[in-house]
Amino acid sequence: MSHTSLALLSLVITLMGYYGAKRLYSRLGYWWAAPILLAPLLIIAAVLLLDIPLPSYFEYTHFLVLLLGPATIAFALPIYRERALIRRYPITLTLGVMAGLLLGLVSSWGLVKLFALPPEIGHSVLVRSVSTPFAMEATTAFGGVPELTAMVVLMTGVVGMLLCGPLFRFGRVRSSLARGVALGASAHGAGAAKAREYGEEEAVVASLTMIFTGIAMVLGAPVFALFLV
Amino acid sequence: MTLSEGKVRLKTGAKRASLTLLQAAAICLLAWLAHALVLYLALPVPGGVVGLGVLLALLSLKWVPEKALQAGAAWLLGDLLLFFIPPVISVIQYEAMIEQYGARMLGFLVAGSVTVLLGTGWVVDKAFKFERGLHLARAGGRL
Repeated sequence: MSHTSLALLSLVITLMGYYGAKRLYSRLGYWWAAPILLAPLLIIAAVLLLDIPLPSYFEYTHFLVLLLGPATIAFALPIYRERALIRRYPITLTLGVMAGLLLGLVSSWGLVKLFALPPEIGHSVLVRSVSTPFAMEATTAFGGVPELTAMVVLMTGVVGMLLCGPLFRFGRVRSSLARGVALGASAHGAGAAKAREYGEEEAVVASLTMIFTGIAMVLGAPVFALFLV
Repeated sequence: MTLSEGKVRLKTGAKRASLTLLQAAAICLLAWLAHALVLYLALPVPGGVVGLGVLLALLSLKWVPEKALQAGAAWLLGDLLLFFIPPVISVIQYEAMIEQYGARMLGFLVAGSVTVLLGTGWVVDKAFKFERGLHLARAGGRL
């Protein structure tokens, strides 16, 4: 296959897989049709079936990853829009972000030891609970592999989305702030999407928490790495 | 739908799409500028976070109206998943490693998520009750 057709094919299956899964989910609403799960599976299947060499696939779609940088900046808008909520609950949000970030880091570190994961994986999973643009930036400070980090971040989102319902009932996590912060801190974007099912306030709180834990992770990563790696 | 109605709808759709793209491009430009600034000043903070801070300041000072970037930002954030699909797909090259450690990694993820969800939820529940108490006390004082 020529370079041009490989490049076009890679891009087309990525866009079709993603927007197809998105449309299917909005029609069906089943949890397994969530784009976070279905889109990567569809695209992996297409890459394997069409026999696209992985290095070429990555080469031709890599420019999409560059949009994570501008996406980080775009987070300024939701922060600005929800400034009233931030002014109303500064203590709760600050404590929640700190608790979420530290619990995420320390639990990851301890569980890597407990499950005896090799260093290549161990260094890549420390940032698992923050949103991808931040995680991809911070993971290098811990010596992580960006591709593994991207996958683990994605899976953390899925796991958090599925676990939150029973856990909130079991742990009697009832206030909308607690549910929102917990979802944003543990399951980032997927958690924020899930939080929308609980209510508008939960959703706003979850996205704010996701953004703040992400920023704190990126800024703190060089320091955390001194202790954890 | 008549033909002219279809045309109008197509036109507004195209107009909205080009506006979104234009705004997203402006955000990309800001990202590039922030990145260049970080390199130039050798700042220890990544360009994305610097750009976020700058944009937040511009919005707060009302130098940039929220509406001017709303559509572009909504697209960048709404389709965030699309932008990290390439590295996720590239994980196939670690197939052997995932086959070997996949079950343990799943255990790791579940245990970690349980810790963060329950722990953070608990902390915030307590903090929220405390802070709501403060609000009520303040409101009571005013009466």
